[in-house]
Formats: sequence, structure tokens, C-alpha cells
Amino acid sequence: MSARGAKAVRHTAALVPLLLWTVLLLVPLIITVGIALKTRYDLLVNPIGWPQPVAWGNIGTAWQEGDLGTALMNSVIITTCGVLGLIALGASAAYPLARRVGRWPTGIYVYFILGLIVPLQLGLVPLYRAWQWLGLVDSQAGVVLIQIGELLPLTIFLFTGFIKTVPRELEEAAAIDGASQFRTFWTIVFPLLRPVTATVIIVTSLVIWNDFLIPLLFLQQPDLQTIPLAIYGFVGEYSQSWNLIFASIVVSSLPIIALFLILQRSFIKGLTGGALKG
Amino acid sequence: MKRFAPAGLASSMPITATPARLLRLPRWLPDVAFVLPALILFTVVVIYPVLSSFVYGFTDWNGVSPDVHFIGLRNFTDLFADRNVRIAFVNTLTFTIVAAVFQNGIALGLALALDHLMGWLRGLATALRILFLIPMLLSPLAIGYLGQYIFSPTFGALDTLLADAHLESWTRDWLGDPHLALGSVIAANLWQYVGYNMIIFLAGLQAVPRDLYESASLDGAGEVQQFWHVTWPMIAPATTISLILTLIGGFKVFDLIFAMTNGGPGYATESVVMRVYREGFQLNHFGYAAAISITLCLFIFVLSVALLSILRRREVVV
Repeated sequence: MSARGAKAVRHTAALVPLLLWTVLLLVPLIITVGIALKTRYDLLVNPIGWPQPVAWGNIGTAWQEGDLGTALMNSVIITTCGVLGLIALGASAAYPLARRVGRWPTGIYVYFILGLIVPLQLGLVPLYRAWQWLGLVDSQAGVVLIQIGELLPLTIFLFTGFIKTVPRELEEAAAIDGASQFRTFWTIVFPLLRPVTATVIIVTSLVIWNDFLIPLLFLQQPDLQTIPLAIYGFVGEYSQSWNLIFASIVVSSLPIIALFLILQRSFIKGLTGGALKG
Repeated sequence: MKRFAPAGLASSMPITATPARLLRLPRWLPDVAFVLPALILFTVVVIYPVLSSFVYGFTDWNGVSPDVHFIGLRNFTDLFADRNVRIAFVNTLTFTIVAAVFQNGIALGLALALDHLMGWLRGLATALRILFLIPMLLSPLAIGYLGQYIFSPTFGALDTLLADAHLESWTRDWLGDPHLALGSVIAANLWQYVGYNMIIFLAGLQAVPRDLYESASLDGAGEVQQFWHVTWPMIAPATTISLILTLIGGFKVFDLIFAMTNGGPGYATESVVMRVYREGFQLNHFGYAAAISITLCLFIFVLSVALLSILRRREVVV
């Protein structure tokens, strides 16, 4: 076979599976958006085709009936506070763990990393009892604290790995100038951690935004519900209105997709950092 | 600092004038202040509840009443005889192994294709890389409802598509048939996460130095030999991470199944974590639920340690 022929074969061998997967990926996504914009009648007679009259009204109906505005607000509050808390606590805890050697730092690091393996559902009942006792059930602060606690292992893992790759010279210079460790960290080291911070933002906000079980158990008041709870409640109430269910799914997924598109470069780099370092 | 400075200079060094120096605070104090808030929160939210669950696994606590009795290993002997628990473990194991094999297999194939495309049509490759990650952004709960609709009989999207393609004989009640339901749930999970595994493999592939391929082909290695002797060993760390992530995710699966089949038909798709949720929160068998979670925990632990040591050994040999 000629060299050009071999190249053509290789190109085809790469393109065909990629196109197949693209179709397999797009068809359900298009069906989802299509159903979200169908009238009930249209859905019955034409279940997968493009909506005949495009029922933009579904979005408004889902928004109102599912109280998505409140849910979106609650999800934004919980996710933002959770991510900010994780960065503050996680980055500062990771700093000495990455910089100091010895039994204590290693031990504490392993202690945190254990949280990556343990199935967290294991502790839900005792946690619920403790939160009841502390008056943190049915409060956003209570859920934010749980989300932070549960995601700290991942956050510390990511930050520690990255800080180890940051050279120490700047910090040492700052220490000689008499800057406190606190100031050195937040003004000199932290700005260098932007790539991993972006990873932490997107990975943890994805988990918090989409989490279902913790809000289900810890937020029972309707005015505190988050997006997944709103979808869940919606399905319970309008079990046959697939068009409205899908409309609520589409609306609630848009913010996280937008965040991803903005941060996708650092996201992809950060997600795969571990694959390179091993 | 002070020790190495000439005696006369020491007092003029700014560092000696800081309050911390005057109070002779121990050197490790700032470190502790950095770690302590995270340590406390993590202990309260994760370690304390998990440890107390371990204790409750040996009791008959119902999760509510103050009445708690130690019953030794009875929960554990009960759960080994419990058919529902056995089904849940078999389902979880099937889900995890099938997902690990297919998800990673497809992901590796796509990553190889995309790696090739990166050197040919870079723009398209970058766009596809973004597109393939979109499903993992959606909540598993939403994917579950999406799957419930797509796989529902007759009017569901899949059966409609099959009927339109004149493949009526292929249509099924995908989620109602106990032999197909678990497969359908696995397919939905695969659809969501293949992109994630692919990105990890792709990063591994892109980090392989190109001259390794050149020297391999100079030595007369063909495409297939290059894959087994260069690519496969070089992406060993990516394989480890990708596999471990799939396994841990598989053992903890809950939201997706909860929304898609709610464990049904019967118990055909119920996972261990769902069983724990049912026993602990709905049936008030908290001690029993804790015993099931302890068993799952040991299971995950043993499996990850075994797998890690196998995979790491492969990395070291290379």
C-alpha cells in the first residue's frame, strides 16, 4: 500500500469512531432539548421529531411550576459558598502539608485522603443526628458545611499535588523580609495556584450543584430546595409531563454548562493533571 | 536566621522584631493554624459519623430511639443470608466491572482516535473534546430521568427510533425486563462518563514523547507493535487513574439508579448504596444498614489496594 493510502486508512480509522460517538452523544441531547420544547399533544404523536410548534412556553411553565427561580438561587448560594469555603480551607491546609516533611504532615495528609475512599453515605444517619443537635438541619449553612467537609479530601489532594510543583524561592524571600506565613501564602503563593484553583472550582461546583442525596435529607423546606430537588419534586408532581420535566432539566443544566465553557481549558488541564504525574 | 548572622547585626534584622519572635511562638504554630479549620470540619462531617457508623454496625439501633443494644456480629451473619443484600452486591459488582471494562475500552479507543485527529484537524479535535465532556456536567439524577424516558417501552425514544428504522422486532421494555434493566442503566452511565475517561487517556497519550514512536518505527515496529510496546506502557498511569475512578464511582452509584428504575423491576437494579438508604432511612434498620456499609467499605478497600498494587507494579516494570 502506498504511504498516502496508509495515511487515508489511518484518518478513516480515527474519524469513523469519533463520528459514531458524536452521533450517539448528540441524539439523546437533541431529543432532550426537543422534548423540552414540545406541547403535550406533539409529544404523543411525534415523540422524537423536532417540536412542531416550538413550545417556548414550557420553559416559563417549568420555571413557575417547579419554582426553579428559588431553586436556582439556592443552588447558586450553596455552590458559591461551598466552593469559596473549600478554596479557603483546602488551599491553606494543603500548604503546610505540601511544604513540610515528616511524620505529622504525612499522617494528616493520609487522614484527609482516606475520605476519598470511604463511601460517605456510610455516616449519614449519625451526621443527621449531629446536625439536628446543632440546629443545622433545614439551613443552607448546614448543607454548605457538609459539602465542604466531604469535598476537602479531593480539594486538598489537588492543591497539595500542585503546590509541590511550585518553587519555594519566592516564599523564602518573603519570609526573610519578615512577612508572616499567612501573608506569604495568600499574597505570594496563592496567586501562583490559579490553574489548580480553576480545577477545584469546576470539579467541586459540579459535585455540589448536582448533589441530590444531601439536600434531599438535610433540606426539607420547599423554599430551600436546590435544583436537583426541584427536578425530583417536579417528577413526583407531574409524572406524565415529560416535556415540562425535560424543560426543567435543560434550564437547570445551562449554568453549569456555561461555567464549563468559560473554564474548559483549565478544567481539562486540571482533570488530567493526575494522569500525567501518575 | 539569627544563629548565622553576625552578633552586631542581629538586632537590626527586621525578622527579630516581629511579635512572633518576641513571644517565642513555636515554629509549627502557623502550620497548625493553616490545617486546623479543615481538619476539624473534615473530622466532624466525615470521620466522626463514619466511625460511629462502624460502632452502630454491631448494634440493633433503629436510628431514632435511644434504645441501643450490642448484638455482636448478628447483623453481619444476617446480611450474608439476606437475599436482597446479595442481589445488591451482585448488581453493584456487575455494574462496576462491566462499566470499568466497556467505559475504559471505548474511552481508550476514542482517545487514540482523538490523539490522531489532534495532529491532523486540531480545531475539530478540540471541539469534539469539549462536546464529549458535556454529559458529565449533567446531574446523574437528570440522566436517570432522561434514561427512563428514552428506554421506556413503545413511546420511548429508543423504541420509536427502532420502529422508524423498521426494526420492530428489536423493540423491548428495556427497563421493565429484569434481564435488560441493569444493562440499560449501565448504558446510561457509560453515555455520561466515557468522555471523562477519554480525557484522562488523551492526556496520557499526548504526553508520550513523539521520538519514541520514531525510533520504534526505525526499529521496524508496526502500528500494533508500537501500541503494545510504546503507547500501552507509557499510558499506564492514565489507565490506573481512569480505572480507579470508574471503580470508585461504580461502587457508590445511587442517584442514576434512583431516578431511572428506583432499583426495579423488583430488585433487579438495586445497588448496595440504595439498599443502605432503604434499610437505614426508610425501614429504620440503622444498625443493619451500617453493617452493610461496613461490608461495602471493606470490599472497596480490598479491591482498590489489590488493583492499585497490580497497576502500580505494571507502571514500575516499565
